[in-house]
Amino acid sequence: MKANFIELNPGAIFAQRGKNKTRENFTNVDIYNLSNIDLTAYNCLVISGFADQDFLYEHRQIILDFVNARKILIFSGNLVTDWLPGGQLFVPKEINSYKDYEVSIHKQHPIFEGVLEDDMTYNKGVSGFFARGHHPTPEGAEVLLTLPGDTPITYIDRVSTKGTILVHAGSDLFGYMKPEINKTTDRIGPQLVKWVHEEIAMLQEEVTR
Amino acid sequence: MMKKIAVVYGGSSHHHRTYKTSEFAKYINRLIPIRELETASLEGVDVLLVPSQTHLGLLKKNVEKIYAFANGGGTVVTLGPQGFDWLPSHKWEFRPTNFWWWLDKDPKSGLVLSAPEHDLFKNYLTLSDATWHQHGVYWPPDNCEVLVSTDDGGAVLYIDKVSTKGTWLNTTLDPDFHYGSYFMPATERFLRGFLPWLVEGKL
Repeated sequence: MKANFIELNPGAIFAQRGKNKTRENFTNVDIYNLSNIDLTAYNCLVISGFADQDFLYEHRQIILDFVNARKILIFSGNLVTDWLPGGQLFVPKEINSYKDYEVSIHKQHPIFEGVLEDDMTYNKGVSGFFARGHHPTPEGAEVLLTLPGDTPITYIDRVSTKGTILVHAGSDLFGYMKPEINKTTDRIGPQLVKWVHEEIAMLQEEVTR
Repeated sequence: MMKKIAVVYGGSSHHHRTYKTSEFAKYINRLIPIRELETASLEGVDVLLVPSQTHLGLLKKNVEKIYAFANGGGTVVTLGPQGFDWLPSHKWEFRPTNFWWWLDKDPKSGLVLSAPEHDLFKNYLTLSDATWHQHGVYWPPDNCEVLVSTDDGGAVLYIDKVSTKGTWLNTTLDPDFHYGSYFMPATERFLRGFLPWLVEGKL
């Protein structure tokens, strides 16, 4: 089964930076239209931290029903209200040195295959762009990336719902800008799309089996 | 007079931290969810603050209302780059963001303090508190007061008391977004001076 992405547009200017190649097939809808949209045709819902999280909280049942239909939810951002199934609120990291922002691959995973830790941590020698805190993970979640102290910044949750939830405490993993900045982080967006296709196939296969 | 500040609240993680849960929340008298702005009463509001990264579609729907508020003698504050031209006579000029000036050999932020005698900079802020990067400049009418400019004279923070019957403070700086993202310490210093000044200072 083909993955069909739907993305909630939060309306903020930094979230309007044009479609890059990775998200060219995404259906982009205004967040405040969420309750008027028939989500049947879509199987991957993409939400960012720019989104109105009070609104998402009010409409959390729509989101829960979506994932429970054996679908995928991807959230990149800081969670500040309790709308995300299995999610816990963002905890900022106490920063004493630029090294506190160093990203580690906790477990090799196809989404981050060939991506160098330093390319995630540093931008022109400056750290702190990737993630500045974390969300405590639900029991049984698969942790992909961490900050020092085994702080989980990116995880996959197949436990809290009948579907799959990917949570990343940082900027949009699909990338808003042109992805081609000639670093290994360019690989993340396309590899994430590929993973979604495989995950959808797996979720659907479990239904038919 | 202590002014009452209302924030047009978008519910993003940035707005949530800066305006609702941080040390700065105490300066905010009221959060108006942007979804409710069209029908909200602005009675009793002295300053209407439109944050960085406000929902563009809903902002567009409320432009007339915000102008009516200003023309009733209110003060409108806008932060960060705007997504469309709606401020009075602002003549926005986009410039590529100077993210990396401080890594240069001879670092120059390009910012100039144009009104050092203004209450905001005399008693609340230094230029370095307002220095991280800027997203562009305004070229407002001559009789506006430019507080911070670029070295070629473009306005980065200015006060306009001439274009409407009220007061507008417009800046291309986006301290609330960065503070709300836990990024860039100067933005915290900016808000520590700017918000108390907005409440109690001379505008």
